[in-house]
Parts: sequence; structure tokens; C-alpha cells
Amino acid sequence: MKPPELPPVNVRLLATALKAFLAEELRASRLSGYVVGLSGGLDSAVAAALAVAAVGRDRLTALALPGPTSDPASLRDAQAVADALGVGLKTIAITAPADAFSEVLGAHDDRVRFGNLHARLRMAALFDRARADNALVLGTSNKSEILLGYSTLFGDAAASVQPLGDVWKTHVFALARALRVPEQVITKPPTADLWPGQTDAGELGFEYREVDPVLHCHHEQGMTRAQLLAVGFPQQLVDGALAAYRKNRFKWRPTVVARVSASCINVDRILPRNPEP
Amino acid sequence: MVVALAQIATCPGQPKHNLTRHLAMIERARTAGAHLVVFPELSLSGYLLAHGVLEHAMDLGDALLEPLKRASRDLAVLFGLPLREEHGGVSNAAVLLEGGEVRGVHRKLYLPTYGMFDEGRYFIPGPRLEPLACSLGSLGVLVCEDAWHLSSAALLAHAGVDALLIMAGGPTEVGAEDEPAASRRWHWIVGATAITTVRPVFFANRCGWEEGILFGGCSWAVDARGQALADAAPALDEALVVAPLSLAAAAHARTLIPIPYAERFDLWRAALAPPERDETS
Repeated sequence: MKPPELPPVNVRLLATALKAFLAEELRASRLSGYVVGLSGGLDSAVAAALAVAAVGRDRLTALALPGPTSDPASLRDAQAVADALGVGLKTIAITAPADAFSEVLGAHDDRVRFGNLHARLRMAALFDRARADNALVLGTSNKSEILLGYSTLFGDAAASVQPLGDVWKTHVFALARALRVPEQVITKPPTADLWPGQTDAGELGFEYREVDPVLHCHHEQGMTRAQLLAVGFPQQLVDGALAAYRKNRFKWRPTVVARVSASCINVDRILPRNPEP
Repeated sequence: MVVALAQIATCPGQPKHNLTRHLAMIERARTAGAHLVVFPELSLSGYLLAHGVLEHAMDLGDALLEPLKRASRDLAVLFGLPLREEHGGVSNAAVLLEGGEVRGVHRKLYLPTYGMFDEGRYFIPGPRLEPLACSLGSLGVLVCEDAWHLSSAALLAHAGVDALLIMAGGPTEVGAEDEPAASRRWHWIVGATAITTVRPVFFANRCGWEEGILFGGCSWAVDARGQALADAAPALDEALVVAPLSLAAAAHARTLIPIPYAERFDLWRAALAPPERDETS
């Protein structure tokens, strides 16, 4: 039995809508532009391309933030993305602070802790630049990785806005082609690039094109594990996807406030983000 | 007569910004010769206020309304706001201005509270459904979800309105089609409402983004037979749709096709009557 496929999306309409989102968020915030970290990967390339189309290249600051274990090819790809978009790329090496901080923390021998530290140092660099430039941090997370929790809490997941946060990774690939992202960025295996040889598929156990239909059927259509298996998805894929979907759900809401009053923020008082002064 | 549909992108928490969008569109409508300009739901405050209604609810004497009242001296204006009620509560209200004065208010009847909608937490439902009158005639105003209950339009048709005005803050998703998924659903509702009530229907939806939610635009107007009176607005961009309103043509349509006069309200009454007591049990 051939399992269900991910429903298609109108890429042109999606891109137009997301550009409008970025334009409106910037207008409503009264800030001056966006800051993005270009990793040389697909998501940041697409987010940056949308931002340039939405608010102009002059209002996007692109940073490359290589660490001690980053693949040199990543920096070359980030530069290719910046060149294609006509934006400058400022490189801020986080190797020295990462090494120094991991020494202090004793995190050097644990590659996950060391990798998370890199992600959080990149976050610190982006928000620092945003503060200096009076800008918003442009998020690059996509729906697939958010659902699977494949991110570093308060690291790469931290951003002011997430234009791709409800877009399946499969559709991010389609957006990349429509936005003319450099081909080598589209075709290379997705990676967080936190240690040599790391790939998303290697860590997750499946490719995004395989897992996106499973997640769609479960998260959006409400299909149970038994139903997913009955329509033909492989058991290993289903169990891997559902395990991550449950285990990492706390990352969807990164913190919980203890409500002890009748005016608890975001519970009893959900208020618009950008009120007029 | 001419009706203009002002499809604008509003921002919750930025009423001054929203007011400037109103005044710019009213000016465009005036230039286009409109006698009435219709704005989307909660157009003055923005839609996704949530508890922001506590900050942004206003009464009909609010200073923010003064520029709109002045602008309504030579054309009617229908817009939306969170209306602070005298005895407590906030209504999701549509306000009709003409001649510099408030001519009528419709309070949204159906407050969607499911899926992404949470209106029942912040608003109180309107108590009644009545036509609003202005120089154009008798107008039936429906706010978004009101139109998804076809009984609303049937009751307004029974009350004899000349036209139906739907003000929407309709969110949408992006699917495989060229237009947003919700716009297609509204297309059918607007057409079916016109055809079944044999009344022209004017649909003003908002567009753009609020708090990460996309709205579907595609404002549109159809005559009493469901024929387009103007091209629909685009989905994503602000636009002014200008459409003619002919009460005579609508009346003629109802002479040829008197469907609303045949509404079986006796069936409604029977359905609503308390069940007869079964004395045998």
C-alpha cells in the first residue's frame, strides 16, 4: 500500500503571503530591519530571501557565525546565499568564546552540550546585533523540526519572528527553488552543523520527505499510530516520528508561568504584541 | 447607488494606524462616487485583540470615532469596533454612520470559539438581529460568523432588508489553490446567501497579517441572483471594490423568484416548540 503524500502547497501564494508577514511584523514593531544568521543551510537561506523580498536588502543584516566544528563548506554556502541576495555577510567566529565557555562549563567532551552551546552563542550574537541595529531576529525554524523538537531550546529556536514555523520542510525546499536559492544549498543534506559529519537524517533516523507525510497525518489529520500503520507508513518511521513528537513537545512552549493571580500574563491577559505608544 | 468595500489590513493594538487606513479608503470611496463604504469586522481596533478588548473597547462617543463621523457627512460608513456596553461586557459591533451621526449598531450574534477562534472569551453575543436603516434603504448587517448561520440571512430577508452587508475578519490557510483556502469558502457563502435570499450581498473582508494570522481578503459583491457586481479584490493586498446597488433590480428579481417569501417559518416554529409531553410514559 502506498501511504498518503503531503498535500501540495501553492508555493507562489505561500511566498507572497510570507513576504507580507515579514513586512507587517517589521512595520508593526517600528524597528529598522531584520538580523539573520546564515548557516549555509536551506532554512536560513529561504528566510533571508523572503526578508529581502519583503523589506529590501538594505534592511537585512546577515551574519555568519562559524564555530570550531563547523564545516568550512558551510561558510562558503552562506557567502553564496548572501551574494545571491545582494546582501553583505559579516563573519563573527564564535570559536574562541565557545571554547572558553565550554572550558568553564566543562562541556567540551559532551558533543550535544558543546553543540547546544554553539547554538546559544549564535543566538546571543544575533540578539546582540538586533539590539545594536534596532532590529528583529529573523527565525529560521520550520514546522517539521519544531514538531520533532529538532532544535536547541533558546538557541536556533529563539527568534523574534518565525516565517517558516508553520511550513513543512518539504515545502521549504519548494520555496527555495521558487526563491532561486543557490542549488548547492538545496541539494546538500540538511545539517545543524554542530559537529563534523552531523546530518538531520543521521540523528533523526529519517528524511524530512519521509516524515512530513507522517507528521501531517498525525498532527493535522489526527490519525493514530494504528491508523498510520494501516495506511502503509513503515513502523520504524512512525514510531520514530511519534516518539520525537511527544518527547520534545516541551520545546513548543519553552517555558511555563506559575499562575497565582487572575491576571497571569498570556493566560488571563493575552495582549497584542505591538501596541501603539 | 454605489457601494464600496474597503479591504484593509488592520493591526490589533494600533487604532490610530487603523483609523488612517479608514480615512484613506473613505476618501478613495468618495472619489469613486460611493454612497456607502463597508469595512471589515473590528476594522478600527484590529481583530486579534484577545484581552486587548480591555484596553481598546470604546463607546459610541469615543474621540477616535470623531474623524469617521465627520467623514460620514456625505456618505454612509459601516465599520467595526469592540463596543463597551453600558451594563458591562464588550460586543463585537458594526456601526453605521451617516450624516455625521450613528444610524445603527449590529452586535455580532455568533462568536466563534473553536479551533483558532476564541471570541467567546472576550465578547458577549448580540441580543437581536434587526435591519439598519440609512438613505440607501434597509440594510442587513452580518459580522463574519453570523453569515455562516444561514438562518441569519433568512431572518433579515424576512424583515425585508434591501441588501445584505457581510463584514468579515476571515482568517485563512494557504493550500494548493491560487487563492487562499478560506476565500473559496467565502465565495460559496456569499453566492449562496444572495441566491437564497434574492438580495444583493456585499462582502468586505480584511487582508494581511495580525499576530501571525493571515486573513484572506477577496472582498466581493454579487447581485440578487448571485452574479458578480465587480471583480473580487485580491487575497493579500488592500483594495477598494466599487459595486453598483440597484434596489429596483433586486425587487424585480424577487418578483420573478419569490423564494424568500415562501420561507416556511411554521417549520421553524415547530422545530423550536417544546416537545409534547408523553402521558403514557
